[in-house]
Amino acid sequence: MSKATIEVAGLRKRFGQTVALDGLTFTTTPGSVTGFVGPNGAGKSTAMRVLLGLDAVEEGTALIGGRPYASLKHPMRHVGSLLDAAALQPSRSGRNHLLWIARSQRLGKQRVDEVIELVGLGKAARRKTGGYSLGMRQRLGIAAAMLGDPPVLLMDEPFNGMDPEGIIWIRSFLRGLAGEGRTVLVSSHLLSELPDVADHVVVIGRGRVLADSTIEELTAGGASLEEVYLRLTTGEVEYRSGGEETWPR
Amino acid sequence: MTDALRAEWTKLRTLTGTSWLLLAAVVVTVAASAAIAAATHVSPGGPGGDSQDPTKLALVGVDLGQAVVAVLAVLAISEEYATGMISVSLAAMPRRVVVLAAKAANITALTLIAATLATAGCLISGRLLLPSAGLDQAHGYALVSITHGPTLRAAVGSVLYLGLIALLSLGIATIARDTAVSTGIVLGLLYLPPLLAQLVTGSLRRHLEQIAPMSAGLAIQATRHTKTLPIPPWAGLGVLAAWAAGALLISGTALTIRDA
Amino acid sequence: MTTSVTSSRNGEFLAALRAEWTKFRSVRGWMIALAFAGLMIVLFTYLQANGKHEGYCTTRNPNSCVTGHPFVPSGPGGEAVADTFRFVAHPLIGNGTITARITSLTGRIWAGPANEAPSLADTRPGVTAWAKAGLLLTPSTKQGSAYAAIMATGGHGVRFQEDYTHDQTGLPGPILGAAPRWLRLTRTGGTITGYDSTDGTTWRRIGSAHLSDLPNRVDVGLFATSPVTYGGSATQATANFDHVAVDPGATVGTAPGGWLGQNIGTGLDDFYTTLGTGSDQRSADSFAVTGSGDIAPAVALAGGDTASDSLLFGLVVAVIFLIVIGTMFITTEYRRGLIRTTFAATPNRSSVLAAKVVVVGLGGFAVGAVAAAAAIPLAQHVMKGNGDYLFPAGPFATVRTIAGSGALVALTAIAALGIGTILRRSAGTILLGVVVFVLPTFTGPGIIGPTSSGSVATWLYRVTPAAGFSVLGLLPRSGLVSYPYTMANGYYPLPPWAGLLVLCAYAAVALGVARFLLLRRDA
Repeated sequence: MSKATIEVAGLRKRFGQTVALDGLTFTTTPGSVTGFVGPNGAGKSTAMRVLLGLDAVEEGTALIGGRPYASLKHPMRHVGSLLDAAALQPSRSGRNHLLWIARSQRLGKQRVDEVIELVGLGKAARRKTGGYSLGMRQRLGIAAAMLGDPPVLLMDEPFNGMDPEGIIWIRSFLRGLAGEGRTVLVSSHLLSELPDVADHVVVIGRGRVLADSTIEELTAGGASLEEVYLRLTTGEVEYRSGGEETWPR
Repeated sequence: MTDALRAEWTKLRTLTGTSWLLLAAVVVTVAASAAIAAATHVSPGGPGGDSQDPTKLALVGVDLGQAVVAVLAVLAISEEYATGMISVSLAAMPRRVVVLAAKAANITALTLIAATLATAGCLISGRLLLPSAGLDQAHGYALVSITHGPTLRAAVGSVLYLGLIALLSLGIATIARDTAVSTGIVLGLLYLPPLLAQLVTGSLRRHLEQIAPMSAGLAIQATRHTKTLPIPPWAGLGVLAAWAAGALLISGTALTIRDA
Repeated sequence: MTTSVTSSRNGEFLAALRAEWTKFRSVRGWMIALAFAGLMIVLFTYLQANGKHEGYCTTRNPNSCVTGHPFVPSGPGGEAVADTFRFVAHPLIGNGTITARITSLTGRIWAGPANEAPSLADTRPGVTAWAKAGLLLTPSTKQGSAYAAIMATGGHGVRFQEDYTHDQTGLPGPILGAAPRWLRLTRTGGTITGYDSTDGTTWRRIGSAHLSDLPNRVDVGLFATSPVTYGGSATQATANFDHVAVDPGATVGTAPGGWLGQNIGTGLDDFYTTLGTGSDQRSADSFAVTGSGDIAPAVALAGGDTASDSLLFGLVVAVIFLIVIGTMFITTEYRRGLIRTTFAATPNRSSVLAAKVVVVGLGGFAVGAVAAAAAIPLAQHVMKGNGDYLFPAGPFATVRTIAGSGALVALTAIAALGIGTILRRSAGTILLGVVVFVLPTFTGPGIIGPTSSGSVATWLYRVTPAAGFSVLGLLPRSGLVSYPYTMANGYYPLPPWAGLLVLCAYAAVALGVARFLLLRRDA
């Protein structure tokens, strides 16, 4: 198994006039959960898509274990990812959703049933995903990410739509993954979701890294996380409140 | 009802595809008519040399343009289902039939405007192009003219035809909910019966042409030999209206009794 | 190194293929739609076949029309043939030769209305190009028997022909008083050789035929026949022969005089339209032989129905189903954002596209081929029951139609997948798919417009995806029969394989653009 690191160096990308990534650079270390934080539109999802080889960049490299994602054989055995838990064909059952992904990674049905147990979907896995609650979709998305038992995990806003019980579950789940020596990158637009989870945070705004340090270092001056976050991101957002992070494509 | 109308109008107006599809409907209709008129060469005395119907020929683009109108109407409702916005719509306006009626009114109004432009374009292109296709006064064909009673009826009828197609499509899409499935059903329902009618003979063919929405509805375009049509012009449009009404009735019921 | 890269590529593709197949089969609606598409093919083929009831009134039997179909002989290879002519026969035992000089070939052409039974009362003089008169050797005078013949024709010079389909060219030019032709047939065992000559001394070999299982005693003799013209008028031809000689001539046990004039295939139920009645006159070694009919492959004159014709509408319905399925197989992924999961699982996007093509293509092929394999025998059964004449299609042609139906459905589904990848939207893809792949098939009168003529339909069936329907073409064509092989008469303008290639080209262009955009765009 290759070294479980994420190395992002000098990523630049624009959508028309909008700069999405502006020389984004950061590295993660194995055995830890890295929080990837920034306001809506900061470029978190774009960076994750670039890491997964979905979006092309004008400049820079995004490597996982020292290799670009697209060059990985059975990539989901190296990197598990959860981008958009709603990205499901509603008339397909959760189990079949996992099964097709398993097939693409040359994994068997047994592994599918294992991850269904792992995320606690249970019998619901046999139902069509169209009827799933937001929380069930998140669990299914995490199950898909865990299919290949990967050393690296990318999770885009995994807390979205989770009930308090679910949030607690995800937190401990992610901690457990890091404890097993995996690298976990978790994005969130709320820094406050992270202190119990992340060892390290990368705060970004307008496609640039604003801070890259441990939680302790950020709050060293006695300020609360929210204050630190607002101070860091002032002037780095186009708006202060709003909906989902979306880019024109 | 007024609020519903305004809400639906705002949705339709702000859907990026709407204006493009309306433009496409006009362009496709006129272009198809012009292309067919330009490709037509009727040799006098040849087979069917005196049985041509210049008005119907000028309006032939409607056969193709209706597909764009159908897609426009399908999208107006199926996209709401695809994005889940239907829940928002029905929450905002709990009287679901009113939502459907408002949608239908808006779609029909827009379609009628586009259809009027398209029909006018078709008639003008027919007036300009058909004489050189051999359909001129020398061969006993008058210029396509809106002052000619049957031509006026065909033109007005074509506009109404497209409006009814929009309503039929909206109804089917409200029942089927999925964009792809609805588009397939509507286009199949429009285009398949005329093909089937060609392949069968005798009374079966006549019956098919009397009940199929496209064959019956387009009887409104005939200006010559109307006695030999399988169905008289206005009755044919009535058949299409019955299809549209039936689809809307079922869709209204379905919308009311189903979960959003 | 290269091989390991290749095998890893293959492994990746196979994994993507299994993933795409799992995706496809796990949406129940698609599987149901696929099965339904197949059912539609069978159902509409049955309905279309059942709608065909045939009755006929042959030219010789105009007042008593009967249900069922007229008689069409089968040639030695089982193919449908015309075998109608005047024969003045002489027995030949063992090896031998028949020689004659043909001094004239004249004829009459029916000039009356097309819907009347042709009679000699209303004709004009003229010889049609494939009017035939000459020498013929056959083991039997039963219609459809094997034969070899050397003949003069109205417009194609001297010909040596055997068993209806084989043809070799001899001296060119028409038969005139100043330019008579000498003809000779020689039998040596099972081999028949034809010769021609301008003077009766210098002989030129045109060709040989090998007739298997030829009995010791065969019939040789003079024949004349004249086919229906390109425009559909029945004709009659009269040929004058002299210097007629059969060697060995005097054979033990034959009828006195040896010569017996007879009409072959002019019974009341024969399908071939003839003019007048065959006759012959003999004076010493000169004969005048008059006949009407043809000795050639039967084309659509024998009836235009084939079981595969009935597949057309059902296939169009199935194609619409597959356009919707092929579209949804990609556009739903874009709609839901699922495409990102797909590409995260298989970063090689070409592999994903190829896997989708294979899945949708095989699905479409299976539906089209299985349904056609069920529908064709059903249609044949129904049409036979209804008294229709069915052209004898060999096993190859049947397999070709079945595989072609599958390919037609598959290619359309693949093209829809390609368009869907390009547009990423369901409605636009299906609109374009139906307009480009379905509407061109509707080129009959009253659909595209009253002006839609045969030439428009022919053009559309050449260059648009409608060309794919050429795979349904089963009616035989022959260069030996002058006949309008037009769509109105049931002939597709392209051969089956060429039609499929046209459809292939459309699918390939759609896929090429799709792949280009897929590799270039952000997912």
